[in-house]
Amino acid sequence: METQTVLETRDVTKTYMVSAGVMKTKKPLHAVSGVSLSVEKGSVLGLVGESGCGKSTMAKMILGLENVTSGEIILGGQLLSSFSAKEIARRVQPIFQDPYASLNPRKSIGSIISLPLRALKVGSPKDLNRKIDEIMEVVGLPPRTKHNYPNQLSGGQRQRVAVARALIMRPEVVLCDEPTSALDVSVQAQILNLLMDLRREFGLTYVLISHDLAVVEHLATKVAVMYLGRIVEEAQTRDLFKRPRHPYTQALLLSVLTPEPHLGLPETHLGIAYPNPIDPPPGCTFHPRCPFAEDICKKQAPVPAGEGGHMVECHFPRG
Amino acid sequence: MKKVLEVVGLTVDLELPAGTLQAVQNVSFSVEQGETLSLVGESGCGKSLTALAIMNLLPPSGHFSAAKMEFMGESLLGVNESGMSRVRGNKMAMIFQEPMTSLNPCYTIGNQLEEAYLQHRHAPDREARDRAVYLLEKVGITAAASRLNQYPHQLSGGLRQRVMIAMGLMCGPALIIADEPTTALDVTIQAQILALLHALQKEFNMGLILITHDLGVVARMADRVAVMYCGQVVETGLAAEIFNNPKHPYTRGLMDCIPVPGKVEPGQKLGSIPGIVPTPIGNLHGCLFRNRCQYFQPKCAAENIPLIEQGPGRAVRCISEQINT
Repeated sequence: METQTVLETRDVTKTYMVSAGVMKTKKPLHAVSGVSLSVEKGSVLGLVGESGCGKSTMAKMILGLENVTSGEIILGGQLLSSFSAKEIARRVQPIFQDPYASLNPRKSIGSIISLPLRALKVGSPKDLNRKIDEIMEVVGLPPRTKHNYPNQLSGGQRQRVAVARALIMRPEVVLCDEPTSALDVSVQAQILNLLMDLRREFGLTYVLISHDLAVVEHLATKVAVMYLGRIVEEAQTRDLFKRPRHPYTQALLLSVLTPEPHLGLPETHLGIAYPNPIDPPPGCTFHPRCPFAEDICKKQAPVPAGEGGHMVECHFPRG
Repeated sequence: MKKVLEVVGLTVDLELPAGTLQAVQNVSFSVEQGETLSLVGESGCGKSLTALAIMNLLPPSGHFSAAKMEFMGESLLGVNESGMSRVRGNKMAMIFQEPMTSLNPCYTIGNQLEEAYLQHRHAPDREARDRAVYLLEKVGITAAASRLNQYPHQLSGGLRQRVMIAMGLMCGPALIIADEPTTALDVTIQAQILALLHALQKEFNMGLILITHDLGVVARMADRVAVMYCGQVVETGLAAEIFNNPKHPYTRGLMDCIPVPGKVEPGQKLGSIPGIVPTPIGNLHGCLFRNRCQYFQPKCAAENIPLIEQGPGRAVRCISEQINT
């Protein structure tokens, strides 16, 4: 079967100018620098990294909420910047972290779910009702909740509403930004199961942004690890988890606290400081925290290398 | 080993417009020196209110009672506010979830670190300052002396949580109550903070009550675990026993919910617990988990289920024979 690329980013860079203080000139902050990714139809791309690594900036750019500083984002074969905001909304939809904050408390569930249809003026009112009922059944919301308000629903049900709202337009890409981090363990499992079922059923394509590597391993088909705005390692999920090559990826995997009491607490050797992105370290940006850093790492930035779809950006990749 | 805290029959009620919410029902546990007890459960299970009741910091709508609540051999029951404020922040410290909101943005961290020490020890400023620098270094903060003049917004989340830990340690506590201490942090920082907490606990031989919903954190940190559901302890025992051989259907359900790398095949359907947590208002009877339980039988609804001893220090609140298979 031929794979079809739905979403592609080519050397995407986002630079913000931030004030370094009163009376000081603004400094550039490279939130994302030179990120190239591709997402095939029906696949799940996991984007992982610590806060401040640029994963949410990537999300904003893919949703068309921020413009790229340079590079291009291609959606379904066309430049994202050539689409209108509404057209982007039709094709890419987000699911956010906190279903307590992402739903308007003064709108009924039916109204929240159908907003994308109404905003884009799709279908007659009759159609609208039918579509709401359909999608509510798909995501497993009881029909009676249609006229309820968000505060009457549990956290899991709210996140189902967010999923329904994202899917009602049948978007080409669903962008899940930490979809389960605000949920309880048992509810998280329900939402993850739902996301997996929907993907299988409708051939959905997800971009999954998360700091929870266990969730990413479970859902994603391909994983990209971000550090200070760059992709430092990218591989098929199974490959990445079995054979992490970048020292940062290794530290991340080590930090995952699986419920295995005999393992105790991991020693990651990462040091405390996540570098200030305004003033990134020279050479390989990871070198101050890297246990294997040598002289070259301090002077020269590594270039992406690797074979068989396993890319790593490191002078001395492991494994 | 000396018991630092012993709680027997703790009950917390919240007066709500809808009725009296029985947030914590007859909860008993104890913590020894150098030991970590983890209270684990999902939101609303009463784990945080248990901690607040021990510190006598319940919201105005809440009140608690207990058969016994002894801290370092002295009863905390009936101690008035000024008595409690001599204990809190002194021999009993608390670390909260959000270092963002639990540090005062208007004061320097030096100021906030020294406050409790000056208050409880009536020590000279110089001594408090030295102690603050010593502890900031202990929690792995570099250039500690210059940090004292910084404000919370100048520190990253991980550093703030380290400051919170240092603050808790100022008066040399015998017990630390940590409520979701790493939930707001990145995974790598979480591992570091937990390792730090663990090392300090061993060094100073403190008791630690770790409140969390994260089973991974519990497994790696706790010596003993109490699983809470709907205001009750449903299972308790050594961490290794609980994780290797969970007995209560709720505990088992929780374990099946989490994707474990290497154990659960990626993409495989995760287990889930059907239904939702009931609200403990009104006349509670029978097992509170029965509506979600696959082993339900009529007698589960008829009688109140006690915690049944399953061995030394191990107890399960379930009468089904299935749980031993």
